[in-house]
Amino acid sequence: MKNVVVGIHLERDDISAGQAFPIADVWLSALELHDDQPLGDRDLLLRVAKMRAELLEHATFIAVRYGCVVPPLPPVQPHWRATLQKNRDNVEMTLKVAASAPKPRPRREDFTSGAAYLRALHESSAEVDEAFKRAAEKAIDAIEVRWLPRDNASLEMAALVRRDCVDAVRAAATKLKEQFPRIPFLLSGPWPLEAFAE
Amino acid sequence: MADSEEELSLLETLDHLLDRGVVIAGEATISIGDVDLLYLGLNIVLANIDALTRNRR
Repeated sequence: MKNVVVGIHLERDDISAGQAFPIADVWLSALELHDDQPLGDRDLLLRVAKMRAELLEHATFIAVRYGCVVPPLPPVQPHWRATLQKNRDNVEMTLKVAASAPKPRPRREDFTSGAAYLRALHESSAEVDEAFKRAAEKAIDAIEVRWLPRDNASLEMAALVRRDCVDAVRAAATKLKEQFPRIPFLLSGPWPLEAFAE
Repeated sequence: MADSEEELSLLETLDHLLDRGVVIAGEATISIGDVDLLYLGLNIVLANIDALTRNRR
């Protein structure tokens, strides 16, 4: 059997579903599967997504990007425990915003070096109306926000919010939609610690 | 409407699962039949090319 890792948790009791592995001063949650089960299996992805949601309902954890299999256990980052302690009552919400003027995506075959292609990709990152950005930051009463480029057509605001503020954030997004009816955006969450895990 | 919202929610959930969160080291052994041909210590990530190029920047 093997285990696909779901998250990093502060306490053993935080892991309300799946397997739990002690790793230094934190715990890993994982879903057990047969050795021959491919990670790309659709049903498996859905099971892991469901387990993520169940775990988050129980307690905040650091999300591990899908694909890590244990054993062997991975090396521990020294800041994980402190991050988990600091954000015990917090979750993330995500506001994905369409770019005001999407830029064309560069084509790899037009570049002779990988570095030049990466630079062009970076320069093609989406930009969002500044007034909307300011209004979104003001409306969503977050502990911290980070704007992250997603691709050439969208930008994302990751907001660290208190668990008990999730409904208020949803209400703020509804008002924002009325205020900026022409800017397409999608609010989603709550999510475990993703952007604020580092 | 409800169906499209459900679909959107599922897509967003899968996007977060595949493209967010910390990347921790993993290991893989590539085998053909019962013969282990290559042992790799790597970050095993299932992600799209956009995600990988963003991470390199």
